[in-house]
Amino acid sequence: MKLFFMVKKELIEITRQKELLFLMFVSPVIQVIILGYVISTDIRHVPVGIVNLSRGQAAERIIERVRRSPLFDVRLESRHSQDYLYPLKKGEVKAMLIFRDALDRKRTVLKYPEVQVLMDGIDSNTSMIAAGYFNGIIKNYILNDMEKLGRGVPMAGRPVFRFNPQLRSINTMGPGIVAFLLTIITMFLTSASLVREKEQQTLDTLLISPLTTLEIYVGKALPAALIGLVDMVIGLLVVVLWFGIPFRGNLLYLFLASLVYLAAILAYALLISVLSATTQQAMFFAWFSLMIFLLMSGFFTPVENIPPLLRLLADINPLRYLIKIIREIFLKGNGISYFWKDLLALGGIALALVSISLLNFKRFISK
Amino acid sequence: MSAAAPAIAVRDLCKNFGHFQAVKRISFEVAPGEIVGFLGPNGAGKTTTIKMITGLLKITSGAVLINGLDNREHLAAIKKKIGYMSQKFSLYHLLTAQENIEFFGGISGLAPRELKASVARMGEQVAAAVLRQKIQDVPPGIRQKVALFVCLLPEPEIILLDEPTSGVDPEARRLFWSEIYGLKKRGKTLLVSTHNLDEAEYCDRIIIIHNGEIVAAGAPDELLRQKGKASIEELFKDAIQEHGQD
Repeated sequence: MKLFFMVKKELIEITRQKELLFLMFVSPVIQVIILGYVISTDIRHVPVGIVNLSRGQAAERIIERVRRSPLFDVRLESRHSQDYLYPLKKGEVKAMLIFRDALDRKRTVLKYPEVQVLMDGIDSNTSMIAAGYFNGIIKNYILNDMEKLGRGVPMAGRPVFRFNPQLRSINTMGPGIVAFLLTIITMFLTSASLVREKEQQTLDTLLISPLTTLEIYVGKALPAALIGLVDMVIGLLVVVLWFGIPFRGNLLYLFLASLVYLAAILAYALLISVLSATTQQAMFFAWFSLMIFLLMSGFFTPVENIPPLLRLLADINPLRYLIKIIREIFLKGNGISYFWKDLLALGGIALALVSISLLNFKRFISK
Repeated sequence: MSAAAPAIAVRDLCKNFGHFQAVKRISFEVAPGEIVGFLGPNGAGKTTTIKMITGLLKITSGAVLINGLDNREHLAAIKKKIGYMSQKFSLYHLLTAQENIEFFGGISGLAPRELKASVARMGEQVAAAVLRQKIQDVPPGIRQKVALFVCLLPEPEIILLDEPTSGVDPEARRLFWSEIYGLKKRGKTLLVSTHNLDEAEYCDRIIIIHNGEIVAAGAPDELLRQKGKASIEELFKDAIQEHGQD
């Protein structure tokens, strides 16, 4: 019953701040929509330049395919060799395609031209993907040509993309954004809560009251968990209804994983709150931690790309496991038998964080 | 414990913060039903001492006995006997006066019916509209009244008030002290810290603390007579000068 009053008080304090209400329930919708569009590895309308020095038909046909592709936006076409470098250097184009006739030893013009693809390597990700697409266009052209001539192709890989056939990056990012949303809201709300009590000197009154340490601790964590779950549902609705990402799994598994994750993240946020002397300090710690969690989670880049030493950090990052589990449930419709190891790891991390955080809280109040 | 045990007994109490000694081996007692004023300038060690008595601050050395029980060993039992009101009144600014009462009553284990009765009791002291106002919007005098009210909700035997009259007007202070007298009549023990020297006259005994040391202690009239001073202010200045000013 005492816990009920503690939770009620926390919820009143949170909901009475109109700005916070907006941040909690309206900004998630805006965030998900903006993040959904902005955080995308899909490439569209990459500005390219073409310098065609070939007199053959093949070059013209390949160029026509590039022109028609929604992936590329042809900004420059030229027949002069000196035009290739300046637009790339100036940033007007991200890629430059140079076609010239290929000759044999007798200087006879061959059927297929030589193609050089110059990429702007500063945006390495876009360049890599765009280079792949160019190669695909050229390869397809040659294969079609060979088929028309009745020549069989000895071997060709035909990839089939399951779970996300159109390779939409929003399908991968969307579930991750939901996990991120759950983190950001609960982390900021909770890391400020105990510090606020210290600042307005109400913590002393709480500590002297009949409330137990555990009741204060849980009373601080529960309201944030409730709000976090509401935000997660809002996030889910936006990614499913707005972005049309299919939800193939079981919602109960999603809530189970989220609850385990919440135990971990709330314990961490309370640890920040115990260690911080002011709200400003707590906010800084929360923001810094959030960045680390996000970068080490596999949200932007695969965890496998992280160097071995930093992998240890990724291995104890709870967000990494939640993102993986959410993607499994969301896109693959997998059941617990597919991700129980991740759930177990998440549970272990949650247990460790709750123990450390609770011990620190007890140590703090007995100073 | 025998009936003669002091409500509060402070024995050789010390508190160090790193190399800084905030409280230096002080000892005093407060008898049951007594009002003791804990006087001293800002930074004298009043709040630190009160926090050690409540168990909120760890004692460096010495001991605090509440009704004969050591507060390091019997804190849970002692918490039920004491009420504490801190300098800033310790209320939740975003909650209304009524919500504050319901919250503090609720965590003190009051039943819903008792909570309702408590709110009604407070309603007799302040206007109903005030009860529905957020604490941050009510005047300091009302805030102080509500803070004392919530401190008394669990019916503590011993009440520790840390600078309860700071920031309130003289009329509110007068009313506050009349309430303190009412509590004494109900058999409560009170230790009240203040830096308002004129409040000493309301106390059965005063303890003057300076730089973490007790520089004078006794009944106000008795102290004035002993030291041959005309006012508490004179007595206070003299005691501080005797022990060296910062």
